Amino acid sequence: MDFITTEKKKYTQLEKRLSAVLLFIEDIIKIPLFRCQRCGECILSHTAFICSQRCPKRMRNGPCGGPGVDGSCEVYPDRKCVWIRIHRRARLLGRIALLRRVENIHDWNLEKTSAWWNVVTRRIEPPTLFIRKTKSEKQSHDAA
Amino acid sequence: MTLREKIAAGRFVVCGELGPPQSGDDEVIRKKAAYFRGIVDAVNITDNQTAIVRLSSIASAKILLEEGVEPICQMTCRDRNRIAMQSDLLGAAAMGIENVLCLTGDHQRFGDHPEARSVFDLDSVQLVATVNRMKEGYLLSGQEMKKKPDFFIGAAANPFAEPMEMRIIRLEKKITVGAQFIQTQPVFDLDRFAEWMRLVRSRGLHTQCAILAGMLPVRSARALDYMQREVPGMRIRPEYLQRMRDSATPQEEGVRIAVEIITTLRAMEGVRGVHLMPVMWESITPRIVEEAGLMR
Repeated sequence: MDFITTEKKKYTQLEKRLSAVLLFIEDIIKIPLFRCQRCGECILSHTAFICSQRCPKRMRNGPCGGPGVDGSCEVYPDRKCVWIRIHRRARLLGRIALLRRVENIHDWNLEKTSAWWNVVTRRIEPPTLFIRKTKSEKQSHDAA
Repeated sequence: MTLREKIAAGRFVVCGELGPPQSGDDEVIRKKAAYFRGIVDAVNITDNQTAIVRLSSIASAKILLEEGVEPICQMTCRDRNRIAMQSDLLGAAAMGIENVLCLTGDHQRFGDHPEARSVFDLDSVQLVATVNRMKEGYLLSGQEMKKKPDFFIGAAANPFAEPMEMRIIRLEKKITVGAQFIQTQPVFDLDRFAEWMRLVRSRGLHTQCAILAGMLPVRSARALDYMQREVPGMRIRPEYLQRMRDSATPQEEGVRIAVEIITTLRAMEGVRGVHLMPVMWESITPRIVEEAGLMR
């Protein structure tokens, strides 16, 4: 299994400019809608369109062991744990299967670059927009 | 026999836990080692737990090794990036420390340096993956190592936090990326734990790794009450709190509760051991191990 990506193309000068322009548009959309944290390695589509990077521990692979029984964040108790919100939304949208993915170790070089450009240039995986529901999942959804 | 061999042999293992001192005094660790020698199979060494500065866990582990106690070195992602983490792991391997417990770590806001910058470069799943990759002989960079460190990889699980489904997903992730044993949060709600174990068994996860249930003996109702209020992710049944409050000898009651819970855990299918973590009360470990009938 390879969740550790080490070989990534370096940004050229032209790309840097392009990414900056794209990021400007991306920010206008993603910051108000998802409170995007501009990590450049967007996994929004796997996390039911809630930005996981808002977590104080920046967890990419699910919640830490800390949320309270009421679902509050352990670090900022007046907030709801972002991963609990992700789970609830994923259930609603039938996207639980995507939460099972092991997410790559974050490449900090991509911080503040355009995730869209990174998808186009294959630096990161493309978003999974549609998923086919498996039978067992439909059943478990109905049961719940 | 090492912890790994004992688990492989199907023995019901007992782990202890030791919190290093807030000073460079190795005598504290050597003294505490006496509570564990010949009594438990391995001892967890916390890595700056609750984000309070303490003697380094790897250094403490080395001291324990010298004292003839097998350490389980805890590694958190809060304070180190991937470079420091790998370097520390190699250092641990060089000193003969093989058991590593990979944790994300408490947020620094709880500790004595709340103004510190946290790292969280990796999360615990990715740390397990990293250690596993090192075990296969490679660093994250892809650099091959001449000598493979032979780690025994542990991870944590919290059966008591919501939502249950997400807990199992996360456990599954940790096992997929290479976790060989799992230590859980302390059990103070046996029904909930049994429910979690049922889900674990239904997915066959208990056959892919050894599950060691957590147990935290308490010595006063106040301590238990504090845990319920302040420690994130704890779930305590009110009956235990009531029993501790009603008891004239809370220490005795604490031991009784611990022994009771251990006995029930031991009978559960898929539980391969217990992890005793009497916070700042390490001296009680031998008594509990003996009363629970787990003396070697």
